[in-house]
Amino acid sequence: MVIGDNRSSTSPDDVALTGAAVLRGMRRLLPVSLFVVPFGVAFGVSAIDHGVGPVQATLMSLLVFTATAQFAALEFLNEPVAFGSLFLVVLALSGRHVVMGAALSRWVNRLPVAKRLATLTLLSDANFADTQPLLQKGESDLGVLLGGGAIMWIAWTASTALGAFGGDLLGDTDAYGFGAVMMCFFAATVVGKLRFSSGLVLPTAAAMAVSAITLPLMPTGWNIILAAVIGGSLAAVFHAE
Amino acid sequence: MLSDWSFILVITIMAAATFATRVAGAVLMARVTPTARTERFLDGLSVSVIAALVASQLMTADVRNAAAVAVAVAVMCVSRSVVWAMFAGMMFAAAVPFIIAI
Repeated sequence: MVIGDNRSSTSPDDVALTGAAVLRGMRRLLPVSLFVVPFGVAFGVSAIDHGVGPVQATLMSLLVFTATAQFAALEFLNEPVAFGSLFLVVLALSGRHVVMGAALSRWVNRLPVAKRLATLTLLSDANFADTQPLLQKGESDLGVLLGGGAIMWIAWTASTALGAFGGDLLGDTDAYGFGAVMMCFFAATVVGKLRFSSGLVLPTAAAMAVSAITLPLMPTGWNIILAAVIGGSLAAVFHAE
Repeated sequence: MLSDWSFILVITIMAAATFATRVAGAVLMARVTPTARTERFLDGLSVSVIAALVASQLMTADVRNAAAVAVAVAVMCVSRSVVWAMFAGMMFAAAVPFIIAI
């Protein structure tokens, strides 16, 4: 990587946020978003089982849009609600977004403030994993990030409604291999990224080890944040120029 | 069963917390002067966070799904297509019960 005085070759001066790129981002993640449907249906069904109304369950997916934290929140929906604990759990499970936002900052922060917020509103694992390597290769239109988030958001909300209003239409989707599909997608994006940055192989391996080892030791979610920070620190210290 | 007000508060807390985490990273980095070292840190961070997510999920996955991830990684190395890798992993996981039955 070539580092200039105060900007790197990977940070274009002109970043944009266009509708055409939003559509491109939606098309890129369309196949992935289809595989969110079984999880959305499962969330809708599970929410009903926990006494949440179908409209409320759908609203939650529409406004919150983070699968792991929403599943966890279902355990808190009894009066009196432990609002403080709920807040901390959501923060922990959603905290990896802070890491992703920081990693995207060198592109996102070149937009005007209102567009920055709009771009980050639908940030999730999938559109981050898809878009970050693209940006690094020279993509300069953050519409791709927003569009990828939008298609995932639509799929998540619509499938939650499907499960909440329609019930368990799909049955045991794990039998079709859906239980593995998001892990496969994320693992493939990691491999794709490491192809272009061999210096990151060791930090990444260390992050995976830390995440796995600390999973039983820390509240869920924090192990991922800790592992990412360790991986990043190792990259900062050892990554060859 | 929750009262409407409790539910509105639950949704508000959750939406505020997730939105805060989505924008916090970029807001924090706006105050940091970029250097070669911070860029390497963020590079490492960006791949580590997804890899850590996979590792964390693998710890609770069964053998079938873990093997499916290995298939996806192998297909990714050969095809360089994330979508093909994902499909291959899923097809493998779906086929395992039939393979075992034979």
